[in-house]
Amino acid sequence: MAAPIQQHQDRIAAHLRRKLGDDVSLADVVALAEITAQSLQGVFESMDAAVHRELQGIADYIKAMKAEIGGLHFNELKRTRIPAAGQELDAIVKATETASNTIMECAEAVLAGDADDPAAFKAMVDEKMLVIFEACSFQDITGQRIAKVVDTLKHIEARVSRLTDGGFVAHDERAGAERKRKLILHGPQLAGGGMGQSEIDSLLSGTTAAK
Amino acid sequence: MAIDLSMPILVVDDYNTMIRIIRNLLKQLGFEDIDDATDGSAALGKMRGKRYGLVISDWNMEPMTGYELLKEVRGDPGLAKTPFIMVTAESKTENVIAAKKAGVNNYIVKPFNAQTLKTKIEAVFAE
Repeated sequence: MAAPIQQHQDRIAAHLRRKLGDDVSLADVVALAEITAQSLQGVFESMDAAVHRELQGIADYIKAMKAEIGGLHFNELKRTRIPAAGQELDAIVKATETASNTIMECAEAVLAGDADDPAAFKAMVDEKMLVIFEACSFQDITGQRIAKVVDTLKHIEARVSRLTDGGFVAHDERAGAERKRKLILHGPQLAGGGMGQSEIDSLLSGTTAAK
Repeated sequence: MAIDLSMPILVVDDYNTMIRIIRNLLKQLGFEDIDDATDGSAALGKMRGKRYGLVISDWNMEPMTGYELLKEVRGDPGLAKTPFIMVTAESKTENVIAAKKAGVNNYIVKPFNAQTLKTKIEAVFAE
């Protein structure tokens, strides 16, 4: 660094001698060189500050991206929510199959019924119609299961959107989760996940303690 | 205690299919005066305009759930004694306990059959 400064001072000295003649002293040259160097110092400092700001901006961006990627909760999605959504879809397929079979069996029984005894035939038809109504309740349960799956898909979509365009507002998700917690909204459970009617009856009557 | 088959019943569910099913099951049991609502707030409005002998309600509805409806009913001196049966897919222990604490008369988990509905209604009026 010393050589360039010396060259700079020599150039200043040569220029001053041409302009002012031999009355220019070394002190004049050094003073002028110092002023010039101080001016340049300011330029270098401002350049450093600009570079520093840019680097800081890049570091902040990387930090935010890391937080977003962390917020995707890949493990939660992979290990819990997506498998749970798959199980809900399996339960939907099973429920619709069961309901379809029940309804078809009733229809077959009615078609095969002996109408020679009208009273007996009507009693059989009434009974089968009740069974069909009961079987049709699958639509309610499957609708709620589908809502759970859609909820998971929206959860994934929201997190991917945050990475791509940052347009998603997390507030809606938090509000929805808080509502579910406050109003105890779990939805239909998978096999073994909830209580059966007899357990509920026992709990209501106080014959069993809550687990 | 013999159940008054002429009593008005209010069925509350956000799925029209389920309303239709319960309505038909109730008709099979001999009930004729059956109204319906698709959420708790609509049900509350109807209950403040007509005296119902029984409310059969789902839990998970918007904007007002059946659980909120139950608490509103029990908190209203004019409605507090209305028999209330929850019919719902919510089958966690905390749901049943919460409903019991809120004053539910009976609790049926979906899917259910006509016999279960009949038994639970009879149990409510036998109390």
